[in-house]
Amino acid sequence: MRSRFLAPTLLLVPAAAVAQAEDPARATVQALDDGLIAIMKSGKAGGVAGRSALIAPIVDRTFDLPLMTRLVVGPSWNTIAPADQTALVTAFRKMTVGQYARNFDSWSGESFVIAPQVEERAGDKLVRTTLRGSGEPVSISYRLRQNGGRWKIIDVFYKNSISQLATRRADFSAILASGGPKALIAHLDQLATKSGD
Amino acid sequence: MVVVPPPSATALPAAPAPAVYRHAPGDPLEKFNRHMYAIHQKLDRAVLRPAAMGYKHAIPSPVRGGVRHFFSNLGEPVVFLNFVLQFKLHSAARTAVRFILNSTIGVAGLIDVAKGSAFELPHLPNGFGDTLGYYGVKSGPYLFLPLVGPTDFRDLLGSQADGLLLPLAVGRPFDRLEYAVPKAVLTGLDARAEYDADLKALLDDALDPYATMRSVYLQDRAGEIAALKGTSADVSMPGDEIDPAAKGARASATPELEDPLADPAARPVPPSTGPKPAAAPELRDPLKDPADFRPVAPVPPAADPGAPARR
Repeated sequence: MRSRFLAPTLLLVPAAAVAQAEDPARATVQALDDGLIAIMKSGKAGGVAGRSALIAPIVDRTFDLPLMTRLVVGPSWNTIAPADQTALVTAFRKMTVGQYARNFDSWSGESFVIAPQVEERAGDKLVRTTLRGSGEPVSISYRLRQNGGRWKIIDVFYKNSISQLATRRADFSAILASGGPKALIAHLDQLATKSGD
Repeated sequence: MVVVPPPSATALPAAPAPAVYRHAPGDPLEKFNRHMYAIHQKLDRAVLRPAAMGYKHAIPSPVRGGVRHFFSNLGEPVVFLNFVLQFKLHSAARTAVRFILNSTIGVAGLIDVAKGSAFELPHLPNGFGDTLGYYGVKSGPYLFLPLVGPTDFRDLLGSQADGLLLPLAVGRPFDRLEYAVPKAVLTGLDARAEYDADLKALLDDALDPYATMRSVYLQDRAGEIAALKGTSADVSMPGDEIDPAAKGARASATPELEDPLADPAARPVPPSTGPKPAAAPELRDPLKDPADFRPVAPVPPAADPGAPARR
């Protein structure tokens, strides 16, 4: 008896969910934004270490950190010893997690608005978001690429124009050119120790 | 509060420019600029930042806001003129109405009434540097100058022209030192104080703060000019088709984006043939995974687990 009434509803619900355009790329960004709001709300209590522990698994799920590391390093990646490659990815991950944990340390009503439409080009997707808080809204967009069936973030843009990858590439290039991967790993590790918990 | 994580990463003392590389793309004066940057940082630590923070703490926020709005309002004629020069008459008109409202009911510009919900006419940035860029003038070499900060030849010229408009068109008091000096000091201190948190987040986390700031500045300016040209976000982007096989064929306004990241040992990538959506300049750089371009071997290298096959 009951199921007869429920059946139409059950049919409608998934249809509505699909109509809401649950683009998998958008879902990835939603997961990151939810995680960021969560660590902001967790506040200063847990310290950088506490917020890092909360956001790290989300960063792992939502970012393609190995690919981002390769893109930042650039073509010289293939000349780097496998052990150093692994160390670079580890350092890059630590840096990404640490940066979120340090910067998203309190919540005063901020929210992320994720644009409903997802743009696509040559296989990559772009998800636009707006961070709303007390001041001017900030545009943050995410570029995603599919890897192993999941859409993962490979670049972050501020104000629709400032690419995090491009900035990091600039930031790393002098050290990479002068000291090679080992110098870069050392600098990144030193940073993690300094700013870490 | 939330500080948006800077596009940079990570900490530590600045990396000296290595001997092997002469300068970064877009920065032929890198050696000079790095000297100037070092001088600026010393000045900033010794004088600028302490003075700016002192100003911030000594003067109540509404007063600082009033001073900021006052000088910003006097910049609106420059904004208006540049919108006219770009034939953006709607934005020019908005700027004109904004200027009139703020100059009258805004008490000579002290209160930004135009921005409020009654009028919804927020400040729109524009200047001669933007107009030059709008008409295709390239930025020229990047420059970092003490007290001026990051700029380039085009924007330096543009900002000089911006500053000359009122003195030349109106004359007194704008052409007097009694006006120019307090203006420079007050707006400089205020801007330094306002940007302090952002600047700290950006540079404290950089391995090479000089290069990080350069990258952010050049990308930001390229984005602003692209937005004026209507090539950003929601409008079609002429010439944005990048043939992955044609490496470096098209110079990008952002030097860091020029490298399509193709390995010399790359296997040839078939040019993508599908229709390209016009929007989203953020997706312009093909961002090819360097690990993807190894010589085609019978067995895929096991040491490369992370690289997705890109076709």
